[in-house]
Amino acid sequence: MDFALDDEQSLVVSTVRRWSERQLRAWAADADRAAAPPDALWGAAGELGLLVDAVPAEAGGMLEGGAAGYSHLSRALRGLELGRGCAALAALCESNVEPSLAVLRFGAPEAQESLFASIAAGDPTVAVTAHDAAERLEVAAAGDAIRVSGRLGPLPGLAIASHALIAARGGGEPVLLLLPLPAGAVTPISPSGWRAAAWGALELDRAEVPPALVLARGAAAAAAIAEVMSWYRVSLAARALGVASAAIEHAVAYGEERVQFGRPIGRFQSLAHMADENQTAIAAARAYALQAAWEIDRGLPGAADSASRARDLAARVVARATIDAVQMYGGYGFVNDFPVEKLMRDARAFEVLGGNEALMRVLERTAAGGGG
Amino acid sequence: MDLLHGESMFQAVQQMMHALAEREIRPIAARHDREESMPWDLMKKVRAFGLTQTAMLDARKMTGEEDAPEGDRKPGKSARMSVVGAEELAWGCAGIALALAGSGLAAAPVARIGTEEQKQLFRDALKGEDEHGRVKVAAMALSEPQTGSDISSLATTARKDGTHWVLRGHKQWITNGQSASIYVVWAQTDPSLGRAGVRGFLVERGTPGLVPGRKETKLGIRASETAQVHFEDCRVHQDLMLGGAGPSAGLGDTKKMLDATRPVVGAQAVGIARAAFEHLLERVRAGSLRGAPLGGHQHIAFALAEMDMEIQASRLLVHRAAWMADHRMDNVAMASMAKAHAARTAQAVTTRAMALLGEEALEPGHPVEKWYRDAKIYDIFEGTGQIQRRIIAKHLTGLNAC
Repeated sequence: MDFALDDEQSLVVSTVRRWSERQLRAWAADADRAAAPPDALWGAAGELGLLVDAVPAEAGGMLEGGAAGYSHLSRALRGLELGRGCAALAALCESNVEPSLAVLRFGAPEAQESLFASIAAGDPTVAVTAHDAAERLEVAAAGDAIRVSGRLGPLPGLAIASHALIAARGGGEPVLLLLPLPAGAVTPISPSGWRAAAWGALELDRAEVPPALVLARGAAAAAAIAEVMSWYRVSLAARALGVASAAIEHAVAYGEERVQFGRPIGRFQSLAHMADENQTAIAAARAYALQAAWEIDRGLPGAADSASRARDLAARVVARATIDAVQMYGGYGFVNDFPVEKLMRDARAFEVLGGNEALMRVLERTAAGGGG
Repeated sequence: MDLLHGESMFQAVQQMMHALAEREIRPIAARHDREESMPWDLMKKVRAFGLTQTAMLDARKMTGEEDAPEGDRKPGKSARMSVVGAEELAWGCAGIALALAGSGLAAAPVARIGTEEQKQLFRDALKGEDEHGRVKVAAMALSEPQTGSDISSLATTARKDGTHWVLRGHKQWITNGQSASIYVVWAQTDPSLGRAGVRGFLVERGTPGLVPGRKETKLGIRASETAQVHFEDCRVHQDLMLGGAGPSAGLGDTKKMLDATRPVVGAQAVGIARAAFEHLLERVRAGSLRGAPLGGHQHIAFALAEMDMEIQASRLLVHRAAWMADHRMDNVAMASMAKAHAARTAQAVTTRAMALLGEEALEPGHPVEKWYRDAKIYDIFEGTGQIQRRIIAKHLTGLNAC
C-alpha cells in the first residue's frame, strides 16, 4: 500500500489549494449574502479545468481514455481543497463531473452529444445529480421513453443547469436518465446553506425523456446508479471534510487569539479537547474518503459501499466540526462577520444530498428479520 | 403536562402562552426570520393584552426576593411561572420569544438594585410609543468586543466629572441595541476595585454620546435585534448610577441575576427542542415522513424515543432549578445544569430532526431548519456551555478548572 501522492496529484492539491484559499474564500461571504456565484467563477474554474475535466478531449474537454481514465482519487483530493474554500462554489465547480462520466459510461452518442455540446457552448454549469428522490419523483415507462412527474429538487446548480442527471431507484423500475431542462422552467430558491450554489426546484408533470437520453433501465440501471452515486458520494465526502477542516482551522486560530480569564480560550482544556477530537475525526474520515475514491478507480467490488459509508461519516464529522467551531467563537460565531456561522449552515446539505444510505442499508439488512 | 398536575394557575398560564405561540407567533415566525425584523405589531398586541415585556423576566421575583419581610416568606411561584411561559413562547419561535421578553434583561437589574426614582424613570421610559409608533423597549448593555464569557474584565469606563459620570467604550451583542428607549449600561468606575468597581447606569435614548451601532446578521433568533452600542464620552447624571452611591450594588449582584435567568433560558431551549420533536412525531404518525410509514422502524422510532427522553430530562432540570429559586434555595449549580442540558438537547434534537427529514429540510423557510439555527445560541449566550460546566464543577470541587 502506498499513501504518497504522485506528482500529478501533488500538483492538483497545491494548485487548487492556492486558488481555493485566495479566490474562493475571498468570494465566499459576498456570494453567500448575494445568494449567487460571482460571474468570475466560471472563467477561473474553467482555466483550472474544473468544469471540463470529465469531458473527453475530442469533445473539447480534458479527459483522455474514456470514463475509465478519470481519477476519482484526484477529484477527492481537489474536493478537500475546494471545500475548504466555499461549499457552495465548490458544488458548482464539481457539478459537471457525474453527468459527463455517466453519459460516457452508459449513454448513447446522442446523449453524449447533447450534454457535451452545451458544456462546450459555455452554459455556465451543466447538470446536477438528482438521486434517490424516489418518494418525490415518479418515473414511468412510456414505451421506450420515460415520463417523469413530481418535484425535482431542491438541488444545487439546478437554477442554471441545462441538464439534470436523475438516478431514480425507488418505486418501480430503476432508471438513470439525462433530463434536458427547459429554459426558465426551474424555480430558483435560496436555502440557508450553500446559498451561492444556484439552487432550484422544478415541478415535472409527465415530462417525457426520449429513449436516447435514458442511460440505463432495470438491472443495468441499478448497477449504473450504484456507480454514479459512488462518484457523487465520494466527492460530497471530500468537500464536506474540506468544510470541516476549514471550520476547525478557523476555530483553532481563533482560540489562540481570543483571551478570556487571562488566557487564550483555546488553551482551556475543554476547548482544546473539542478541537483535538474534531481533528482526529476529520483525519479518519479523510482517509476513508480517499480509500473509497481509490477503490472506485480500481473498480473494486466494495467501492460503492465504501463511498456511501465515507459520505455518511463525513456528513457527521462536518456537522460536529462546524457546530463546535461556532462554539469556539462564542457570540462571534453566531454573527456573519466571521466565517463559521456560514460553515454551520453549509454543513447540512452534505447529510441530505446523496440519500440516507445508512437507513437503506439497515432496511436491507433487516428486511428478512420479521420472524419474531 | 404532568409536571403541572393539580396546579391550575400554572396550567392556565401554559394554555394562554401556548395559544399565543400557536395563533400569533407561529404564523409570522418564518417571515421575521427571513427579514431579520422585530415583531413590532405582535409586541404592541401583547402589551395591549396586559402582558408587559418586563413581567416575563422579572429576576427579582424569579429569585424569590419579594417584598415580604425577612423570615415571613412563603415559597413563591414566579420562577416556575416564568419557565412554563418561556417554554411555550419559544415553542412558537425563540427569536420572537426573545423579542417579547428582551426588555426584561434590562428590567431585572433595575428591579433588583435600582432606587425608587430609578424604577420610576425606567417604567416611564417604556410607556407609550416611540417616534416610529412602536412599543418602547429597553436594552441591557453588558458584553463587549473583548468581554464575552469573562464579564469581570469590562473595558467600558465611567469617569467622575462633577455631578456626572462620563461613559466611554463599546458594547457588543446587545439585545434591542438599536431600538431601545433606555439602556442599562455596565462600566468600570474604579479599576482598582476590580469587579466591585463595575456599576450600572441608566442612559436614555437621545443622550449625547450614546450611539446605537450596527445591527448584526445572525445565524438564528433573527426576530430578536442584536446590535453594537457605542458610548463616546456620554455624560450621565450621578443619580442615574444604579442603586445610588452605596457600595453593594455592583456587578456581583448582577451576576447572581444572570444565574437567575438561566432556568428561563433553559426553558426556551426546551421549547425549541419540543417544537422540532413534535414536528417529526406528527410526520411519522401521519406516515408522511419520506413518503412512507416509518413509525415501526427503530431507526425512526428510537430517535423519537431518545428525543423525548432528553426533552423530558431537560424540562425536569429546568423546573427543579426554578422550584429551588421559588423556595429560596441556592440553585446556582442546578440552574447551570438546566441551561447546559437544555441547550445540548435543543442542538441534538434539531440536528437529528434535520437529518431524518432529509431533503425537504433544505427547502427555504422549513421550520425545522430554522429551529436548528435558533438552537445554537442557547449553548452560547447567558453563559456558554463551557461556563456552565465550570460553575457546576466549581460547586463540586471548589476549584476554578482550566
